Amino acid sequence: MSKILSQKFYDEMKRLEPRYPTKVALLLPALHAAQRETSWLSPEVLEEVAAHVGIHPAQAREVASFYTMYNLKPVGKYHIKVCTNVACELRGADGLVKHCEKRLGIGLGQTTSDRRFTIHEEECLGACGTAPAMMLNDDYHEDLNVAKLDQILDQLP
Amino acid sequence: MPKCTIDGREVEFQPGQNLIEVAKKVGVEIPYFCYHPGLSIVAQCRMCTVEIEKNPKLQTACSTPASDGMIVHTQSEKAKKNQRSVMEFLLVNHPLDCPICDKAGECDLQDNSYKFGDAYMRTSEDRRTYMDLDMGPVIKKNMNRCIHCTRCIRFGAEVAGIREMVAIQRGNNTEITTIDGRPLETEYAGNYSDICPTGSLTLKDFRFKKRAWFLKKTPTICEGCSRGCNMEIQHEGGQIYRSIPRENMEINQWWMCDEGRFNYRYTMEKDRIVEPRVVEAGASKRADWATAVAQARASVRGKKALVLIGSDLTQEEAQLIQQFAKQSLSGADVRHFGTPGIKSAGEDAAADKLLKRKSRTSNLHGVEKLGIGAFEGNTGAAEAVVVFRGGRAVLPEIKAGIWTVGIGVYHDSDSKKPGVILPGAAFSEKDGTVVNFQGKEQKLRRSVLPAGKSKLISEILALWTHQGVANKAGSKASVQAVTEGAV
Amino acid sequence: MSNLNFEQKQSAQSESGSIGGEPGGETLFIQHFKNDEARFLKYYHEKMAGYTALKKAFGMTPAAIVDEMKKSNLRGRGGAGFPTGIKWGFINDKTPFPRYLVCNADESEPGTFKDRDIMRYTPHLLIEGMVIGGYAISANVGYIYIRGEYTREAVLLDEAIEEAYAKGYLGKNIMGTGFDFDLTVHRGAGAYICGEETGLLNSLEGKRGEPRVKPPFPAQAGAFGKPTIVNNVETLANVPFIINRGGEWFSKLGRLERSGGTRLISVSGHVNKPGVYEIPAGSMTIRQIIYDLCGGMLNNGRLKAVIPGGSSAPVLTADEIDVIYDIDPLMKVNTMLGSAALMVVSEDQCVVKLIHRITKFYAHESCGQCTPCREGCHWMESIIERILHGKGREQDLALLADISDNIGGKTLCALGDAAAGPVASFVKKFKPDFEAYIRGGKHA
Repeated sequence: MSKILSQKFYDEMKRLEPRYPTKVALLLPALHAAQRETSWLSPEVLEEVAAHVGIHPAQAREVASFYTMYNLKPVGKYHIKVCTNVACELRGADGLVKHCEKRLGIGLGQTTSDRRFTIHEEECLGACGTAPAMMLNDDYHEDLNVAKLDQILDQLP
Repeated sequence: MPKCTIDGREVEFQPGQNLIEVAKKVGVEIPYFCYHPGLSIVAQCRMCTVEIEKNPKLQTACSTPASDGMIVHTQSEKAKKNQRSVMEFLLVNHPLDCPICDKAGECDLQDNSYKFGDAYMRTSEDRRTYMDLDMGPVIKKNMNRCIHCTRCIRFGAEVAGIREMVAIQRGNNTEITTIDGRPLETEYAGNYSDICPTGSLTLKDFRFKKRAWFLKKTPTICEGCSRGCNMEIQHEGGQIYRSIPRENMEINQWWMCDEGRFNYRYTMEKDRIVEPRVVEAGASKRADWATAVAQARASVRGKKALVLIGSDLTQEEAQLIQQFAKQSLSGADVRHFGTPGIKSAGEDAAADKLLKRKSRTSNLHGVEKLGIGAFEGNTGAAEAVVVFRGGRAVLPEIKAGIWTVGIGVYHDSDSKKPGVILPGAAFSEKDGTVVNFQGKEQKLRRSVLPAGKSKLISEILALWTHQGVANKAGSKASVQAVTEGAV
Repeated sequence: MSNLNFEQKQSAQSESGSIGGEPGGETLFIQHFKNDEARFLKYYHEKMAGYTALKKAFGMTPAAIVDEMKKSNLRGRGGAGFPTGIKWGFINDKTPFPRYLVCNADESEPGTFKDRDIMRYTPHLLIEGMVIGGYAISANVGYIYIRGEYTREAVLLDEAIEEAYAKGYLGKNIMGTGFDFDLTVHRGAGAYICGEETGLLNSLEGKRGEPRVKPPFPAQAGAFGKPTIVNNVETLANVPFIINRGGEWFSKLGRLERSGGTRLISVSGHVNKPGVYEIPAGSMTIRQIIYDLCGGMLNNGRLKAVIPGGSSAPVLTADEIDVIYDIDPLMKVNTMLGSAALMVVSEDQCVVKLIHRITKFYAHESCGQCTPCREGCHWMESIIERILHGKGREQDLALLADISDNIGGKTLCALGDAAAGPVASFVKKFKPDFEAYIRGGKHA
């Protein structure tokens, strides 16, 4: 079966392998590295990762589905995760979410039809002092308000 | 030996034993779901919590080894409240499926609820539900009923050696599945149904066939291979509905393979020959016993005979056949057959990492103990071959024309079979002794009567020799002849 | 983009000063935070410990180091508050090899954000602390398990680690002592339960982050089944200070018996100046923190409630804030310091909505292994949601209290307690707010 993941992925795995006493410990880093390339972890990608780490594909799936950061369904180019936990709720996350949904025309958990945006609510991101906060792909955006949010989205290529 | 006190009763224990096992010794039942003596301990269900003096918190009995001087209360107010609360938590989402669930009557959830739970519900929330995916031909999964004890996951990983049953998602949404509807690969899938404490994993083979409380249970031995797993045939009204493993720590612990578990099916197949057959004008026809036996006797008279005996027959049958060959077939040679490629007990070995053995019959070691040698494949100078078998021994290649009589279990679908067939009892239809690969003698016990017009081999041989005597003398002498085994 | 925000924030913060308690109180961390140069080895050499503590540690025996840690009265800064010296002492000569030192950088307790600052501004404190810790327990391999969302912080940590390797502070034969120590950053992937030490270890091993039955404890069988010590980021970052200046000095920094050093506290919610602050342990009351340190209530709002120790801590009312903000005093009033994350709630916020969100968090983060947490958390969330939608019943409050009682102390790990405690406290202390929905026809 031809491989989906690039040589870069396998090189990274090779670099990490001596740092752990077991190969299975590579699983979480492997899933992160795979998702970086493919944006979401399809059954085929999971199978390839499982084969490399030496586990049953079901095992890869059971681990991947436990953690919220691994996308087991396709996501848009820009994955917006707005924190709605205590500190952010206290500083207006609710309003931010509603504005986001209105602007993009989708609800939480959905993706726009042009596949550009997906929005989710998120648990505490550890940015409570600069609440409300969100993640846009890998980046944090803090001290948000509706205007700033619009600005951030406007500037996206 | 160290001692501890459970509910006021003093009990000695082996160091390392957990409190559930120690409590059993003094007749104290500590309820549990996730604990299983054959699987790792996870202390997840929280049902087995007990109060231990000097310990402020309740402790799970499964994960607490007994210690010298420990004082345990399994039914203190605190312990009882927790049992009721765990039952309540489990029933918040568990559907009231009992009227349509196979597990009713042998369900841990029902039993523990009745004994340790409350009789009312305080929840008014909707139950969470799942979409089920198929798991293959053996196991029916109903995820709504699952109480997440994870016994199935641990069985797959630790015993069956394949991590195909997994938990996906987390929290209240945790689903236990084989992902993407893959069928279970393990050859031990039936055990999932045995260990599941609810009706979440049930046997498709048994589905909706019989209520558990109607079943009669007969302990016997599996005939699937030379391990001789202890099993129980469950039947009612002369029909077998299910077979499950029995615990035997030295032979099969708590498990059995699917091949052995569903082996009983062949005894009920529609194309099983259960009436005697004779050859008439070149075709096979049903006949009565007298006619069939007469034709059988005639077909071997005056010919050099060879007797082949399946190693799936019991010690008693084998001995009778040896005697029969000596006295009724002019000392014909007796050879055993059973599994292609495994000719002797010496060649028998483990076939997998768990239970299966290479010899696919249950009594290879037994028949060899009786001095019967293996059939090498060459019928030599024999002009007539009489083949005795149960349902497992694989029929060897025999030259056309010299195979005259078959005695035992045969099917229409057997491509090789002789013209004369005297139908015999299957393993579930007789008592007998079999010897497993460890040299252990174990007893088959009859669950149901021989199917149709089949007879026990002892009866068939008695008929054969009786006819011989009756032809020569009166009936009184024939009784004597039976007991003396005369021709 | 976020850097811009920070610069604005920084000036606001430095105006108020970040030193609490008595004037002249020494701080160890805060003066380096918000400084983008602080994370580099150059700065670390010039302005901070610069691996001098490591050099000093190599001149001590492991037993002497553990002794110093015990004298310091440093209590775990992750939330459990377990004395670090005693924890390190669980590993002794009889403990088999190999051993592991793991840093719990999973910081996911709602309201907590102080470890993030340590990792992005003063990572070398953590690295030096880990090498010393490794030496003290004879562990040659260390892992920093960092929550997956801290993508940037993981990159910054990796860069600092690379600097340390280049200078020979990590790797083989450190400072010519023959001691090897390898450090790897291992990213989590979004699971609060991986902050529980055995859940973390399972996740490190490549499994679902489900907590394990204890015993055995990590010191007996931890990472990969081997003896392991797990410590919080702030705990380890304090080690260089303790080694350089002595455990007794550190202990005296704190104002209470059995609670040494300074504390990094995370303040958020309806205050004028939320952020990370550093105060001597046990030196301030909650009232002082809110009004003296953080500029008082946002928009002059009236205080309604305070969640003192991350969302797992039972709530305090506005009348209960004259308690000293440290482990033992808070335990005495039936709540906890936890991760020292103070969340301040004004009367603008509906507390029923708040406890609903908190309960939703625990239901979402529950690993699902044990019955009371898996079923109970979701049940509590459903009941409170029903109350919010105007369908509450009279018996629901007593039911919530009983469910909470049935979860607390009965679960495999502390997440159950973390979910149960807050619910019971909100229901008890804010009964009228619930009744406004149940009887008063209020609707979300």
